[in-house]
Amino acid sequence: MNALAIIFSDMRDWNMTELASHRSVAAIPFGGRYRLIDFPLSNMVNSGINKVYLITSSNYRSLMEHVGSGKDWDLSRKKGGILTIPPYSAGENHGLYQGRLDALKRVLDYIKSSKESYVVLSDSDMIYDINYNKVIKYHEEKNSDITAVYIKTDINKSNSIHKILYEFDEDGRADDILVYPVTTGNYNIGLNTWVMNKEFLESLIYDAIARNYKDFSFDVLSARVHSLRIYGYEYTGFFAHIDSLQSYYENSMRLLNMDTLQSIFYSNTGPIYTKTKDSAPTKYCENAVIKNSLIANGCIIEGTVENSILFRDVKVGKNAVVKNSIIMQHGRIGDNANINSIITDTYTYVNKDRVLLGYSNCPFFIKKNSVV
Amino acid sequence: MKLAKKECVAMLLAGGQGSRLGALTTKIAKPSVPFGGKYRIIDFALSNCTNSGIDTIGVLTQYQPLTLNSYIGDGKSWDLDRMHGGIQILPPYQRVADSEWYLGTANSIYQNLDFIDQYDPEYVLILSGDHIYKMDYSLMIDYHKEMDADCTISVIDVPIKEASRFGILSSDESGKIIDFEEKPKRPKSTQASMGIYVFKWSKLKEYLEIDDKDPDSSNDFGKNVIPLMLRSGEKVYAYKFEGYWKDVGTIDSLWQANMDLLGENGFELSDENWIIYSRHAEKPPHYTGKDAVIKNSIVSEGAAIFGTVENSIIFSGVSVGENAFVKDSVIMADVEINKNCVINYSIIDEMVKIGAGLKIGRQMGKDSEITVIPRESVINKMGGVI
Repeated sequence: MNALAIIFSDMRDWNMTELASHRSVAAIPFGGRYRLIDFPLSNMVNSGINKVYLITSSNYRSLMEHVGSGKDWDLSRKKGGILTIPPYSAGENHGLYQGRLDALKRVLDYIKSSKESYVVLSDSDMIYDINYNKVIKYHEEKNSDITAVYIKTDINKSNSIHKILYEFDEDGRADDILVYPVTTGNYNIGLNTWVMNKEFLESLIYDAIARNYKDFSFDVLSARVHSLRIYGYEYTGFFAHIDSLQSYYENSMRLLNMDTLQSIFYSNTGPIYTKTKDSAPTKYCENAVIKNSLIANGCIIEGTVENSILFRDVKVGKNAVVKNSIIMQHGRIGDNANINSIITDTYTYVNKDRVLLGYSNCPFFIKKNSVV
Repeated sequence: MKLAKKECVAMLLAGGQGSRLGALTTKIAKPSVPFGGKYRIIDFALSNCTNSGIDTIGVLTQYQPLTLNSYIGDGKSWDLDRMHGGIQILPPYQRVADSEWYLGTANSIYQNLDFIDQYDPEYVLILSGDHIYKMDYSLMIDYHKEMDADCTISVIDVPIKEASRFGILSSDESGKIIDFEEKPKRPKSTQASMGIYVFKWSKLKEYLEIDDKDPDSSNDFGKNVIPLMLRSGEKVYAYKFEGYWKDVGTIDSLWQANMDLLGENGFELSDENWIIYSRHAEKPPHYTGKDAVIKNSIVSEGAAIFGTVENSIIFSGVSVGENAFVKDSVIMADVEINKNCVINYSIIDEMVKIGAGLKIGRQMGKDSEITVIPRESVINKMGGVI
């Protein structure tokens, strides 16, 4: 397809301190064997986009390791493929990217050098399943400058922060854009995914440099809503926004449902790709008890697992009980341990006989490499 | 044309029909028969090569190669998509003067002399694609060098009552083989050939030429080439292998090898020092329903279990419906077992659909046999035992 994708790997991790303390948001493990980046990347690839710029600012080691050459997403290509772009110093630009617009300014050369006609901008903290061809077609039909993908949903106060709300006229053109308002009710929430013509994006960046615009949402979208043709493309499928530990937990638990799994992983747009790990299939021992759970390969289960998600290579000891929990890869739950409503980050070790309790609206988080 | 020189080239014999596997190999070659929840039999030989540092492999195909060819692809799943060497599929081909199918194991190598010569190797490793085992071939090659052997045969100790099923070797104290008998009625030893050979390439070439000129030869390594080398007084050595090794050439042995994955003393797939690589289906983790029961079993990604699974191997993408019961069985990829089904002591091949409430197989016991359902069957008739 004639489009270039630019994915921002960690534009807003201020609310995700636990999960993103040592990794970019895009590298947060999700769904038993994936990382968040897999969802936008697979969307791109399934839509026929095979050129991706991955913008990453800090703590990107695990992301780089995960993405590698891109071959697991079929993005190790002679033409196109994936290019990870951490910040580098040139001229007056120093230090980390100061937000989306700063990043775009500093990768302008890469954008200019690509031959594609369209650019798709996306974040990596949202999970949805979209065919970008349809968005681009709509973008052409409306002859818009910017086409923003949005979802109609009811938001409550607690999760309304850090969202961009759109109001559209009858034709679907935005006539008001609110950035991070505190509000409740039904709104059109932006998915931080925009389609633009490449030349238009270049002119936008030149303009931002000339006027010293700092913020894409405020200075471009909101401030110029009447001078630019900004249209909305409504998305209606499965949607999850991972912007806090609580939303991470709740959205993970939504996967414990066959219909949800079907809609994400067996959709018409195509599979979700991820880095292959060559783990053996999971082994259940004689006394294993398993209910309503999602289990990746490479696990050995000797105890009880209920309403939980086990990532790859997790071992649950004899008589151990794991309920309502998320155990990331390489976790060890010792014999007779009992844990409920816990999220353990990678490589955590819960010793035998330990009892750990969180609560469903306040899951307890255990840091990477911890020994309990 | 000379390519970059390789010390050792592996040739994997993957052309056999595997007729003793019956319905499982009517559409696919034996090396592509699924195994262990997510693998195919050929993964073991290929992963052994990768883990032993062998990166140049010719795969000889003849019988039903389609699945095998597309499975292997460019070899990247086994890290065999290499700049020099890598994996190459070698079907029989037409020449100016003649064109033949591969007539026997030795003939298939003879027909590919040019392939091997491109790499100008010192040694050639001959492998078969129908065994389940983990083996470091580099140690065997080291032994071959140390003994300055012309041919080294990997052997494993088998129970004396089973010895007449194998090629049986007798060796002297130094390990030099003094006698070789294919499937002897009265075995003289319990050292069985595993069908894995290391040859000095120059020597093998010489004997393949001789073998090809013999009109009475069946062009087979075990029956012709090795006995000929022994008769001619070449240095043929036995390399003792200890560990798990299973020939999965029959329905019973295939079922047993799968079940060996469940026991404490069987075969361990999860070994970070010896990863078994395979080609992956892009599927999410497996899901277990609220009433699922899974005991002493292996379950792979993409499966959805709502019923009961005991002592079984469940491949990726399998669904087991509510209140269905699966015991002592091997359920291959993408099989759909609907609610209230009862599956006992069966091997169900890929993409089979079994309608609700059906019973397949008889309970495992002394007199019962394994039930095999061929791939892509759709079984809808209500009631009864099939």
